[in-house]
Amino acid sequence: MSDYKAVVIGGSAGSFAVVLKMLSQLRADFELPIIICMHRLKHIRSGLVESLNVKSQKEVIEPFDKQRIEQGKVYLAPSNYHMFIEFDGTISLSVEDMNNQSRPSIDYTLSSAAVAYREKCLGIILTGANKDGAKGLKDIADKKGFTIVQDPKTADVPTMPKAALEIMKPDLILTPDQITDYLNKL
Amino acid sequence: MDAKEFLVALKVKTGYDFCDYSEQSISRRLLKICEEQNIQFEQLLDKVIADSLYMARFVEDITVNTTELFRDPIVWISLYKTLYQRLRTTGIITFWHIGCSVGLETYSNLILLKERGLIDRVRVFGTDLNPRVLNVARKGLYAYKFNSHFKNNFEEVMSGIGSKSKFEDYFDVDEVKDTMAVKPFLTEIPKYMQQNLVMEKCPFPYKVDVVFVRNVLIYFNDVLQTKIMQMIDSKTYDKAVLILGKQEMIPTKYSGQYEQVGYYHKRM
Repeated sequence: MSDYKAVVIGGSAGSFAVVLKMLSQLRADFELPIIICMHRLKHIRSGLVESLNVKSQKEVIEPFDKQRIEQGKVYLAPSNYHMFIEFDGTISLSVEDMNNQSRPSIDYTLSSAAVAYREKCLGIILTGANKDGAKGLKDIADKKGFTIVQDPKTADVPTMPKAALEIMKPDLILTPDQITDYLNKL
Repeated sequence: MDAKEFLVALKVKTGYDFCDYSEQSISRRLLKICEEQNIQFEQLLDKVIADSLYMARFVEDITVNTTELFRDPIVWISLYKTLYQRLRTTGIITFWHIGCSVGLETYSNLILLKERGLIDRVRVFGTDLNPRVLNVARKGLYAYKFNSHFKNNFEEVMSGIGSKSKFEDYFDVDEVKDTMAVKPFLTEIPKYMQQNLVMEKCPFPYKVDVVFVRNVLIYFNDVLQTKIMQMIDSKTYDKAVLILGKQEMIPTKYSGQYEQVGYYHKRM
Protein backbone atom coordinates (compact mmCIF):
# COMPACT_ATOMS: atom_id res chain seq x y z
CA MET A 1 0.00 0.00 0.00
CA SER A 2 2.79 2.40 0.90
CA ASP A 3 4.22 2.09 -2.62
CA TYR A 4 1.50 4.36 -3.95
CA LYS A 5 0.13 7.78 -3.09
CA ALA A 6 -3.18 7.45 -4.93
CA VAL A 7 -5.31 5.42 -7.31
CA VAL A 8 -6.50 7.43 -10.31
CA ILE A 9 -9.35 6.07 -12.41
CA GLY A 10 -10.82 7.20 -15.76
CA GLY A 11 -13.89 5.93 -17.56
CA SER A 12 -16.91 6.98 -19.59
CA ALA A 13 -19.73 4.96 -21.17
CA GLY A 14 -20.48 1.94 -18.96
CA SER A 15 -18.00 2.87 -16.27
CA PHE A 16 -20.53 4.04 -13.69
CA ALA A 17 -21.63 0.45 -12.94
CA VAL A 18 -18.02 -0.72 -12.82
CA VAL A 19 -16.98 2.03 -10.39
CA LEU A 20 -20.10 1.50 -8.28
CA LYS A 21 -19.34 -2.21 -7.87
CA MET A 22 -15.67 -1.54 -7.24
CA LEU A 23 -16.39 0.99 -4.48
CA SER A 24 -18.92 -1.32 -2.84
CA GLN A 25 -16.45 -4.23 -2.76
CA LEU A 26 -13.33 -2.38 -1.72
CA ARG A 27 -12.21 -3.27 1.77
CA ALA A 28 -13.24 -0.68 4.35
CA ASP A 29 -9.67 -0.02 5.48
CA PHE A 30 -8.35 0.69 1.97
CA GLU A 31 -6.17 3.69 2.71
CA LEU A 32 -5.19 5.21 -0.60
CA PRO A 33 -7.15 8.15 -1.91
CA ILE A 34 -9.11 7.21 -5.04
CA ILE A 35 -9.44 9.94 -7.64
CA ILE A 36 -12.05 9.33 -10.32
CA CYS A 37 -12.68 11.21 -13.53
CA MET A 38 -15.81 10.02 -15.32
CA HIS A 39 -17.53 11.55 -18.32
CA ARG A 40 -21.18 12.26 -17.72
CA LEU A 41 -24.06 12.83 -20.05
CA LYS A 42 -24.64 16.56 -20.47
CA HIS A 43 -28.20 16.51 -19.17
CA ILE A 44 -27.28 14.49 -16.07
CA ARG A 45 -25.27 17.01 -14.13
CA SER A 46 -26.11 16.04 -10.60
CA GLY A 47 -26.95 12.90 -8.69
CA LEU A 48 -23.84 10.92 -9.63
CA VAL A 49 -22.03 11.47 -6.36
CA GLU A 50 -25.20 10.73 -4.39
CA SER A 51 -25.73 7.43 -6.22
CA LEU A 52 -22.13 6.37 -5.63
CA ASN A 53 -22.35 7.22 -1.94
CA VAL A 54 -25.32 4.91 -1.43
CA LYS A 55 -23.20 1.82 -2.10
CA SER A 56 -19.64 2.95 -1.57
CA GLN A 57 -17.67 1.73 1.44
CA LYS A 58 -16.01 5.12 1.47
CA GLU A 59 -17.14 8.68 1.35
CA VAL A 60 -17.29 9.99 -2.23
CA ILE A 61 -16.64 13.71 -2.57
CA GLU A 62 -17.03 16.15 -5.45
CA PRO A 63 -14.08 18.30 -4.41
CA PHE A 64 -13.98 22.04 -4.06
CA ASP A 65 -11.08 23.88 -5.67
CA LYS A 66 -7.86 23.62 -3.59
CA GLN A 67 -9.34 20.87 -1.41
CA ARG A 68 -6.67 18.70 0.20
CA ILE A 69 -6.56 15.05 -0.83
CA GLU A 70 -6.93 12.80 2.23
CA GLN A 71 -6.28 9.13 2.87
CA GLY A 72 -9.22 6.79 2.55
CA LYS A 73 -11.44 9.19 0.60
CA VAL A 74 -12.84 9.04 -2.91
CA TYR A 75 -12.82 12.13 -5.14
CA LEU A 76 -15.05 12.45 -8.20
CA ALA A 77 -14.41 15.15 -10.82
CA PRO A 78 -17.33 17.61 -10.58
CA SER A 79 -19.59 18.02 -13.59
CA ASN A 80 -18.43 20.63 -16.14
CA TYR A 81 -15.01 21.16 -14.47
CA HIS A 82 -11.57 19.78 -15.33
CA MET A 83 -9.79 18.35 -12.28
CA PHE A 84 -6.02 18.51 -11.70
CA ILE A 85 -3.81 17.04 -8.97
CA GLU A 86 -1.37 19.69 -7.73
CA PHE A 87 2.15 19.06 -6.40
CA ASP A 88 1.13 20.09 -2.87
CA GLY A 89 -1.47 17.32 -2.63
CA THR A 90 -4.48 19.49 -3.34
CA ILE A 91 -7.01 19.39 -6.15
CA SER A 92 -7.44 22.31 -8.51
CA LEU A 93 -10.32 22.81 -10.91
CA SER A 94 -10.67 24.58 -14.23
CA VAL A 95 -13.47 25.45 -16.65
CA GLU A 96 -11.22 25.84 -19.69
CA ASP A 97 -12.13 24.45 -23.12
CA MET A 98 -13.17 20.84 -23.50
CA ASN A 99 -10.53 18.28 -24.33
CA ASN A 100 -11.57 15.35 -26.57
CA GLN A 101 -15.10 16.86 -26.41
CA SER A 102 -14.99 16.33 -22.66
CA ARG A 103 -15.07 18.40 -19.50
CA PRO A 104 -13.92 16.87 -17.22
CA SER A 105 -11.12 15.46 -19.35
CA ILE A 106 -9.62 12.19 -18.13
CA ASP A 107 -6.33 13.00 -19.86
CA TYR A 108 -6.00 16.17 -17.76
CA THR A 109 -6.61 14.41 -14.45
CA LEU A 110 -4.36 11.44 -15.26
CA SER A 111 -1.52 13.52 -16.72
CA SER A 112 -1.50 15.85 -13.72
CA ALA A 113 -1.44 12.82 -11.38
CA ALA A 114 1.45 11.39 -13.43
CA VAL A 115 3.68 14.41 -12.78
CA ALA A 116 2.48 14.98 -9.22
CA TYR A 117 2.87 11.36 -8.02
CA ARG A 118 5.35 9.97 -10.59
CA GLU A 119 6.19 6.31 -9.78
CA LYS A 120 3.79 6.42 -6.84
CA CYS A 121 0.73 6.67 -9.06
CA LEU A 122 -1.60 3.79 -9.86
CA GLY A 123 -3.67 4.58 -12.96
CA ILE A 124 -6.67 2.66 -14.28
CA ILE A 125 -8.64 3.07 -17.53
CA LEU A 126 -12.11 1.51 -17.69
CA THR A 127 -14.78 1.06 -20.34
CA GLY A 128 -15.62 4.14 -22.42
CA ALA A 129 -16.69 5.47 -25.80
CA ASN A 130 -13.93 8.03 -26.29
CA LYS A 131 -10.15 8.04 -26.53
CA ASP A 132 -9.85 10.62 -23.73
CA GLY A 133 -7.72 9.06 -20.99
CA ALA A 134 -5.37 7.02 -23.19
CA LYS A 135 -2.70 9.71 -23.31
CA GLY A 136 -3.05 10.34 -19.58
CA LEU A 137 -2.50 6.67 -18.79
CA LYS A 138 0.55 6.66 -21.05
CA ASP A 139 1.89 9.66 -19.10
CA ILE A 140 1.53 7.67 -15.87
CA ALA A 141 3.41 4.74 -17.42
CA ASP A 142 6.12 7.08 -18.78
CA LYS A 143 6.70 8.39 -15.25
CA LYS A 144 7.09 4.77 -14.05
CA GLY A 145 3.69 4.65 -12.37
CA PHE A 146 1.67 1.42 -12.36
CA THR A 147 -1.05 1.07 -15.02
CA ILE A 148 -4.09 -1.15 -15.43
CA VAL A 149 -6.46 -1.28 -18.40
CA GLN A 150 -9.86 -2.94 -18.23
CA ASP A 151 -9.90 -5.92 -20.60
CA PRO A 152 -11.72 -4.55 -23.70
CA LYS A 153 -13.58 -7.87 -23.98
CA THR A 154 -15.30 -7.07 -20.67
CA ALA A 155 -16.02 -3.42 -21.52
CA ASP A 156 -19.52 -2.16 -22.37
CA VAL A 157 -17.83 0.12 -24.89
CA PRO A 158 -14.21 -0.87 -25.63
CA THR A 159 -13.07 2.34 -27.38
CA MET A 160 -11.33 3.84 -24.36
CA PRO A 161 -9.37 0.77 -23.18
CA LYS A 162 -8.48 -0.04 -26.81
CA ALA A 163 -7.24 3.52 -27.39
CA ALA A 164 -4.97 3.12 -24.35
CA LEU A 165 -3.66 -0.26 -25.54
CA GLU A 166 -2.84 1.24 -28.94
CA ILE A 167 -0.38 3.75 -27.54
CA MET A 168 1.05 2.06 -24.43
CA LYS A 169 1.62 -1.28 -22.74
CA PRO A 170 -0.03 -1.38 -19.31
CA ASP A 171 1.32 -3.47 -16.44
CA LEU A 172 -1.95 -5.41 -16.30
CA ILE A 173 -5.06 -6.00 -18.39
CA LEU A 174 -7.84 -7.14 -16.04
CA THR A 175 -11.57 -7.72 -15.72
CA PRO A 176 -13.42 -5.35 -13.36
CA ASP A 177 -13.54 -8.00 -10.60
CA GLN A 178 -9.82 -8.65 -10.97
CA ILE A 179 -9.13 -4.91 -10.66
CA THR A 180 -11.05 -4.82 -7.35
CA ASP A 181 -9.19 -7.94 -6.14
CA TYR A 182 -5.89 -6.38 -7.08
CA LEU A 183 -6.66 -3.19 -5.14
CA ASN A 184 -7.88 -5.17 -2.12
CA LYS A 185 -4.58 -7.04 -1.99
CA LEU A 186 -2.42 -3.91 -2.05
CA MET B 1 14.16 26.00 -18.85
CA ASP B 2 10.95 24.52 -17.42
CA ALA B 3 7.51 26.07 -17.07
CA LYS B 4 8.23 27.48 -13.63
CA GLU B 5 11.51 29.09 -14.70
CA PHE B 6 9.80 30.46 -17.79
CA LEU B 7 7.14 32.19 -15.68
CA VAL B 8 9.78 33.79 -13.43
CA ALA B 9 11.71 35.06 -16.47
CA LEU B 10 8.49 36.33 -18.04
CA LYS B 11 7.69 38.29 -14.89
CA VAL B 12 11.15 39.87 -14.78
CA LYS B 13 11.21 40.78 -18.48
CA THR B 14 7.61 41.83 -19.10
CA GLY B 15 5.94 42.47 -15.76
CA TYR B 16 3.26 39.88 -16.58
CA ASP B 17 3.10 37.77 -13.46
CA PHE B 18 1.61 34.29 -13.75
CA CYS B 19 3.83 32.80 -11.03
CA ASP B 20 0.96 32.41 -8.57
CA TYR B 21 -1.35 30.61 -10.97
CA SER B 22 -2.43 27.04 -10.15
CA GLU B 23 0.63 25.18 -11.33
CA GLN B 24 -0.73 22.15 -13.17
CA SER B 25 -3.17 23.91 -15.44
CA ILE B 26 -0.91 26.82 -16.40
CA SER B 27 2.02 24.45 -17.05
CA ARG B 28 -0.18 22.34 -19.27
CA ARG B 29 -1.31 25.35 -21.28
CA LEU B 30 2.29 26.58 -21.64
CA LEU B 31 3.47 23.17 -22.82
CA LYS B 32 0.62 23.04 -25.31
CA ILE B 33 1.69 26.36 -26.85
CA CYS B 34 5.30 25.13 -27.14
CA GLU B 35 4.10 21.87 -28.69
CA GLU B 36 1.79 23.56 -31.20
CA GLN B 37 4.47 26.01 -32.31
CA ASN B 38 7.20 23.43 -32.01
CA ILE B 39 9.43 25.67 -29.86
CA GLN B 40 11.20 25.54 -26.49
CA PHE B 41 10.52 27.87 -23.54
CA GLU B 42 13.66 29.90 -24.37
CA GLN B 43 12.32 30.70 -27.85
CA LEU B 44 8.84 31.40 -26.51
CA LEU B 45 10.31 33.94 -24.11
CA ASP B 46 12.27 35.67 -26.91
CA LYS B 47 9.16 35.89 -29.10
CA VAL B 48 6.99 37.27 -26.30
CA ILE B 49 9.55 39.96 -25.46
CA ALA B 50 10.13 40.98 -29.08
CA ASP B 51 6.56 41.26 -30.33
CA SER B 52 3.73 42.94 -28.42
CA LEU B 53 1.04 41.45 -30.66
CA TYR B 54 2.44 37.98 -30.08
CA MET B 55 2.50 38.78 -26.38
CA ALA B 56 -1.20 39.75 -26.37
CA ARG B 57 -2.09 36.53 -28.18
CA PHE B 58 0.05 34.54 -25.77
CA VAL B 59 -1.67 36.05 -22.71
CA GLU B 60 -5.00 35.18 -24.25
CA ASP B 61 -3.89 31.60 -24.86
CA ILE B 62 -2.69 30.88 -21.36
CA THR B 63 -5.60 32.49 -19.55
CA VAL B 64 -8.99 30.83 -19.57
CA ASN B 65 -11.80 32.67 -21.32
CA THR B 66 -14.57 30.07 -21.37
CA THR B 67 -17.93 31.27 -20.10
CA GLU B 68 -21.54 30.54 -20.87
CA LEU B 69 -24.98 32.12 -20.60
CA PHE B 70 -26.56 31.07 -17.30
CA ARG B 71 -23.84 28.55 -16.45
CA ASP B 72 -25.33 26.27 -13.75
CA PRO B 73 -29.01 27.30 -14.16
CA ILE B 74 -29.80 26.05 -10.67
CA VAL B 75 -27.49 28.73 -9.24
CA TRP B 76 -29.23 31.55 -11.14
CA ILE B 77 -32.71 30.33 -10.20
CA SER B 78 -31.67 30.27 -6.57
CA LEU B 79 -30.07 33.74 -6.75
CA TYR B 80 -33.25 35.11 -8.29
CA LYS B 81 -35.37 33.70 -5.48
CA THR B 82 -33.04 34.72 -2.65
CA LEU B 83 -30.41 37.38 -3.32
CA TYR B 84 -32.39 39.40 -5.86
CA GLN B 85 -35.28 39.71 -3.36
CA ARG B 86 -32.94 41.00 -0.67
CA LEU B 87 -31.05 43.71 -2.54
CA ARG B 88 -31.44 47.13 -1.08
CA THR B 89 -34.59 48.92 -2.02
CA THR B 90 -33.21 52.45 -2.46
CA GLY B 91 -30.35 53.94 -4.43
CA ILE B 92 -28.16 52.46 -7.11
CA ILE B 93 -27.01 48.84 -6.75
CA THR B 94 -23.49 48.23 -8.05
CA PHE B 95 -22.36 44.89 -9.53
CA TRP B 96 -18.85 43.85 -10.46
CA HIS B 97 -18.09 40.86 -12.66
CA ILE B 98 -14.43 39.97 -12.16
CA GLY B 99 -12.89 38.04 -15.06
CA CYS B 100 -15.99 38.72 -17.13
CA SER B 101 -14.49 37.37 -20.38
CA VAL B 102 -16.91 37.86 -23.32
CA GLY B 103 -19.65 39.13 -21.04
CA LEU B 104 -22.12 36.24 -20.99
CA GLU B 105 -22.36 36.24 -17.21
CA THR B 106 -22.87 40.01 -17.14
CA TYR B 107 -25.80 39.59 -19.53
CA SER B 108 -27.19 36.63 -17.55
CA ASN B 109 -27.24 38.90 -14.50
CA LEU B 110 -28.80 41.80 -16.42
CA ILE B 111 -31.56 39.56 -17.79
CA LEU B 112 -32.50 38.51 -14.26
CA LEU B 113 -32.33 42.11 -13.03
CA LYS B 114 -34.73 43.04 -15.84
CA GLU B 115 -37.02 40.15 -14.85
CA ARG B 116 -36.95 41.42 -11.24
CA GLY B 117 -37.71 45.02 -12.30
CA LEU B 118 -34.39 46.28 -10.94
CA ILE B 119 -32.65 47.11 -14.18
CA ASP B 120 -33.25 50.86 -13.95
CA ARG B 121 -31.22 51.28 -10.79
CA VAL B 122 -28.11 49.22 -11.35
CA ARG B 123 -24.54 49.97 -12.25
CA VAL B 124 -22.67 47.02 -13.76
CA PHE B 125 -18.94 46.66 -14.33
CA GLY B 126 -17.07 43.85 -16.03
CA THR B 127 -13.29 43.60 -15.84
CA ASP B 128 -10.87 41.24 -17.54
CA LEU B 129 -7.22 40.95 -18.43
CA ASN B 130 -7.79 40.46 -22.17
CA PRO B 131 -8.80 43.44 -24.34
CA ARG B 132 -10.10 41.17 -27.12
CA VAL B 133 -12.72 39.45 -24.97
CA LEU B 134 -13.80 42.83 -23.60
CA ASN B 135 -14.50 44.01 -27.13
CA VAL B 136 -16.70 40.97 -27.73
CA ALA B 137 -18.46 41.71 -24.43
CA ARG B 138 -19.16 45.31 -25.47
CA LYS B 139 -20.75 44.17 -28.73
CA GLY B 140 -22.63 41.28 -27.12
CA LEU B 141 -22.40 39.30 -30.37
CA TYR B 142 -21.91 35.52 -30.27
CA ALA B 143 -22.00 32.49 -32.54
CA TYR B 144 -25.44 30.86 -32.43
CA LYS B 145 -25.29 27.16 -33.34
CA PHE B 146 -22.06 26.49 -31.47
CA ASN B 147 -23.69 27.96 -28.37
CA SER B 148 -27.10 26.36 -28.71
CA HIS B 149 -26.96 25.16 -25.10
CA PHE B 150 -27.22 28.82 -24.03
CA LYS B 151 -30.84 28.74 -25.12
CA ASN B 152 -31.47 25.58 -23.08
CA ASN B 153 -29.92 27.23 -20.02
CA PHE B 154 -32.02 30.36 -20.65
CA GLU B 155 -35.23 28.36 -20.89
CA GLU B 156 -34.40 26.35 -17.77
CA VAL B 157 -33.84 29.55 -15.79
CA MET B 158 -36.99 31.28 -17.09
CA SER B 159 -39.09 28.26 -16.26
CA GLY B 160 -37.41 28.02 -12.83
CA ILE B 161 -38.32 31.61 -11.94
CA GLY B 162 -41.82 31.34 -13.41
CA SER B 163 -41.23 33.78 -16.27
CA LYS B 164 -42.83 33.68 -19.71
CA SER B 165 -40.01 35.68 -21.34
CA LYS B 166 -38.58 34.29 -24.54
CA PHE B 167 -35.01 34.10 -25.78
CA GLU B 168 -35.97 36.55 -28.55
CA ASP B 169 -36.95 39.16 -25.93
CA TYR B 170 -33.26 39.52 -25.09
CA PHE B 171 -31.42 38.32 -28.19
CA ASP B 172 -31.64 39.00 -31.92
CA VAL B 173 -30.98 35.64 -33.53
CA ASP B 174 -29.84 35.52 -37.16
CA GLU B 175 -29.74 31.91 -38.29
CA VAL B 176 -28.31 32.77 -41.73
CA LYS B 177 -25.34 34.61 -40.27
CA ASP B 178 -25.34 32.13 -37.37
CA THR B 179 -25.24 34.88 -34.76
CA MET B 180 -27.05 35.86 -31.61
CA ALA B 181 -26.82 39.50 -30.53
CA VAL B 182 -27.75 40.78 -27.09
CA LYS B 183 -30.36 43.52 -27.51
CA PRO B 184 -29.07 47.10 -27.24
CA PHE B 185 -31.17 47.90 -24.14
CA LEU B 186 -28.87 45.43 -22.33
CA THR B 187 -25.52 46.07 -24.03
CA GLU B 188 -25.73 49.78 -23.24
CA ILE B 189 -25.68 49.18 -19.49
CA PRO B 190 -22.40 47.46 -18.49
CA LYS B 191 -19.03 49.21 -18.55
CA TYR B 192 -16.22 46.86 -19.53
CA MET B 193 -12.68 47.71 -18.43
CA GLN B 194 -9.31 46.05 -18.65
CA GLN B 195 -7.69 45.06 -15.38
CA ASN B 196 -4.73 42.86 -14.53
CA LEU B 197 -5.89 41.44 -11.20
CA VAL B 198 -2.35 40.57 -10.18
CA MET B 199 -0.93 44.05 -10.34
CA GLU B 200 -3.57 46.68 -10.99
CA LYS B 201 -6.11 48.40 -8.79
CA CYS B 202 -9.79 48.30 -9.59
CA PRO B 203 -10.35 50.65 -12.58
CA PHE B 204 -13.63 52.26 -11.43
CA PRO B 205 -14.26 54.52 -8.42
CA TYR B 206 -17.50 53.07 -6.97
CA LYS B 207 -18.07 50.78 -4.02
CA VAL B 208 -19.72 47.52 -4.93
CA ASP B 209 -22.76 45.67 -3.54
CA VAL B 210 -22.46 42.37 -5.39
CA VAL B 211 -19.30 40.77 -6.77
CA PHE B 212 -19.47 37.95 -9.27
CA VAL B 213 -16.14 36.13 -9.15
CA ARG B 214 -17.15 32.72 -10.44
CA ASN B 215 -14.48 30.26 -11.51
CA VAL B 216 -11.77 32.91 -11.41
CA LEU B 217 -9.98 32.20 -8.13
CA ILE B 218 -9.57 28.55 -9.19
CA TYR B 219 -6.72 29.59 -11.50
CA PHE B 220 -4.70 31.09 -8.65
CA ASN B 221 -2.78 29.69 -5.71
CA ASP B 222 -3.57 30.79 -2.16
CA VAL B 223 -1.09 33.72 -2.22
CA LEU B 224 -2.86 35.33 -5.14
CA GLN B 225 -6.32 34.34 -3.94
CA THR B 226 -5.65 36.21 -0.69
CA LYS B 227 -4.42 39.27 -2.60
CA ILE B 228 -7.55 39.36 -4.72
CA MET B 229 -9.79 38.91 -1.67
CA GLN B 230 -8.02 41.94 -0.14
CA MET B 231 -8.85 44.00 -3.21
CA ILE B 232 -12.47 42.83 -3.18
CA ASP B 233 -12.63 43.72 0.52
CA SER B 234 -11.45 47.26 -0.09
CA LYS B 235 -13.90 47.82 -2.95
CA THR B 236 -17.11 46.55 -1.37
CA TYR B 237 -19.74 47.75 1.11
CA ASP B 238 -19.86 46.16 4.56
CA LYS B 239 -22.68 43.76 3.80
CA ALA B 240 -21.37 42.91 0.34
CA VAL B 241 -22.24 39.69 -1.41
CA LEU B 242 -19.81 37.43 -3.26
CA ILE B 243 -20.84 34.85 -5.79
CA LEU B 244 -18.27 32.13 -6.45
CA GLY B 245 -18.27 29.16 -8.81
CA LYS B 246 -20.23 26.10 -7.75
CA GLN B 247 -17.09 24.21 -6.64
CA GLU B 248 -15.31 27.15 -4.99
CA MET B 249 -15.01 28.18 -1.36
CA ILE B 250 -14.02 31.51 0.22
CA PRO B 251 -10.21 31.36 0.65
CA THR B 252 -9.31 30.18 4.17
CA LYS B 253 -8.00 33.51 5.46
CA TYR B 254 -11.34 35.18 4.73
CA SER B 255 -13.72 32.32 5.43
CA GLY B 256 -14.53 33.60 8.95
CA GLN B 257 -15.79 36.88 7.54
CA TYR B 258 -18.44 35.47 5.23
CA GLU B 259 -21.49 33.35 5.76
CA GLN B 260 -22.83 31.17 3.00
CA VAL B 261 -26.48 31.71 2.08
CA GLY B 262 -27.53 29.19 -0.57
CA TYR B 263 -25.33 29.90 -3.57
CA TYR B 264 -23.89 33.21 -2.38
CA HIS B 265 -21.58 34.43 0.39
CA LYS B 266 -22.47 37.44 2.52
CA ARG B 267 -19.97 39.43 4.52
CA MET B 268 -20.92 39.37 8.18
